[in-house]
Amino acid sequence: MMESNYLNTKPSTIQVWDLGVRIFHWALLAAVIVAAMTGFFGSPDSLQIHLIAGVSISLLVLFRLIWGFSGSTYARFRTFLFSPDKVRGRIQEMLTGRHTRYLGHNPLGGWMIFALLACLTLIVCTGSVVLGGVFKQGPLAFVTSFATGRFVQEIHQIFAFGLVGLVGLHLAGVAYETVFGKEKLVSAMISGNKPDSSDVPAPPFARARPFVALIAFVVFGMAGTVGVASFAARPGLGVPTAAVDPLYAKECGACHFAYHPSMGTAALWDGILSHLDQHFGEDASLPEATRTKLVAYLKENSSEHWDTRVSHVLATANPKEPLRFTATRFWTRMHREIPDKAFASKAVGFKGACNACHSDAKTGLFAPQNIEIPEGARL
Amino acid sequence: MKSRQFIALSCIVLLPAMAYAGAAQKPIIDSYLAAAKAENAAFSGFSAERGKSFFLAKHDASSETPSCTTCHTSDPTKAGQTRAGKDVAPMAVSKTPDRFTDAEKVEKWFTRNCQSVIGRACTAQEKGDFITFMASL
Repeated sequence: MMESNYLNTKPSTIQVWDLGVRIFHWALLAAVIVAAMTGFFGSPDSLQIHLIAGVSISLLVLFRLIWGFSGSTYARFRTFLFSPDKVRGRIQEMLTGRHTRYLGHNPLGGWMIFALLACLTLIVCTGSVVLGGVFKQGPLAFVTSFATGRFVQEIHQIFAFGLVGLVGLHLAGVAYETVFGKEKLVSAMISGNKPDSSDVPAPPFARARPFVALIAFVVFGMAGTVGVASFAARPGLGVPTAAVDPLYAKECGACHFAYHPSMGTAALWDGILSHLDQHFGEDASLPEATRTKLVAYLKENSSEHWDTRVSHVLATANPKEPLRFTATRFWTRMHREIPDKAFASKAVGFKGACNACHSDAKTGLFAPQNIEIPEGARL
Repeated sequence: MKSRQFIALSCIVLLPAMAYAGAAQKPIIDSYLAAAKAENAAFSGFSAERGKSFFLAKHDASSETPSCTTCHTSDPTKAGQTRAGKDVAPMAVSKTPDRFTDAEKVEKWFTRNCQSVIGRACTAQEKGDFITFMASL
């Protein structure tokens, strides 16, 4: 008996990371990668994927916050909420080459978790302000101006770069522990197990309470969803809701897509309707009575009256061709990847046929999710 | 005997059809007829043949729209497309029966398109020939 016990020298292991922590960790990694790729490198129509990633991140963070109070020992926040003294001690150890083993997070690693969760929360919150202000979608669309959305977009980006930095430090910490602490941290986050050792002080034991966590997740998740949905159902701030005037749709829509009045400034509409006899190379004269009516309608609904994305970004005219939407810097930048051949195809016709690809063009909203390149224009 | 019978039969069959094709367009054709007579004392009636060559002719007024056929295509029984990508219903009355029935609309488009393509207003005779050609298809 004694002998066989002696020969069995394989060290025993202990489960440190429970299933909840492990699934959370890797699912979060996947969602952050998707969000970062679409956010940093995406094209204008990547928004929907970015949003799905963002919603996934917010649900994962919600779960982790709950699990921090209901998970097993090392998942609980209290086991890795270390005092500043401990953090200082840890840094001194690192500088002097000493190493104290922690089964869960060490004092620096623990604060890294809080920093990552806080950064992710701020990214999600600023993201929904951007979504509301710039795109007039989501729970904050009804209170957020375009200017606010644009400003918060900068902050969203700063936090996104901050997250990249934190992830870098997190990986550096893992590398440090792997090299100097001889800890197999990556495989521990897969299997959940680490070699046990009796000389590591054990934190107070906590039993995982998955049912409590599930109930809390469902309650908070449902409350959040209902709240988000009810706010999202409100009309967006400064978003036109009325259908385009029938006379305008008939007269101007006879030759080309009837551009939503919010796409042009009052000055642009004035400029266009003052020279209908020389309308982009053609004579598009109208009886004076009709023309007067259209000028009045367009000026009453021009971009100055709305707060949508196009009402702002198309308002800056190109001085060389001030009356052409497709000459603006914004338009050019957003369509730079589309070849001229696609515009010339029969399915589109020309650059100004917005509705060929933007199914919501006639509302003036131009949501990135409503872009679909028609079959005949895919090259 | 035989040829006379054929002509008579043709008249019985074709005349009502021709009258039908042009019935809705008659008021507009009549008004251009009066205008054409006022324009030119020697005027002797519209011609679908002249209308056709007018429709197909190339002009130098505009490089973007050198001919009616730029947008309407050279086959008036087919749908055309504006330079801005909108479909234009066929000009042939047989395909689009309400063509040339709304005087205001007809004048609006002759005014615009004659200016764009030829660089001047069209004469009443040109307009009448054009409609006669489109009604004959």
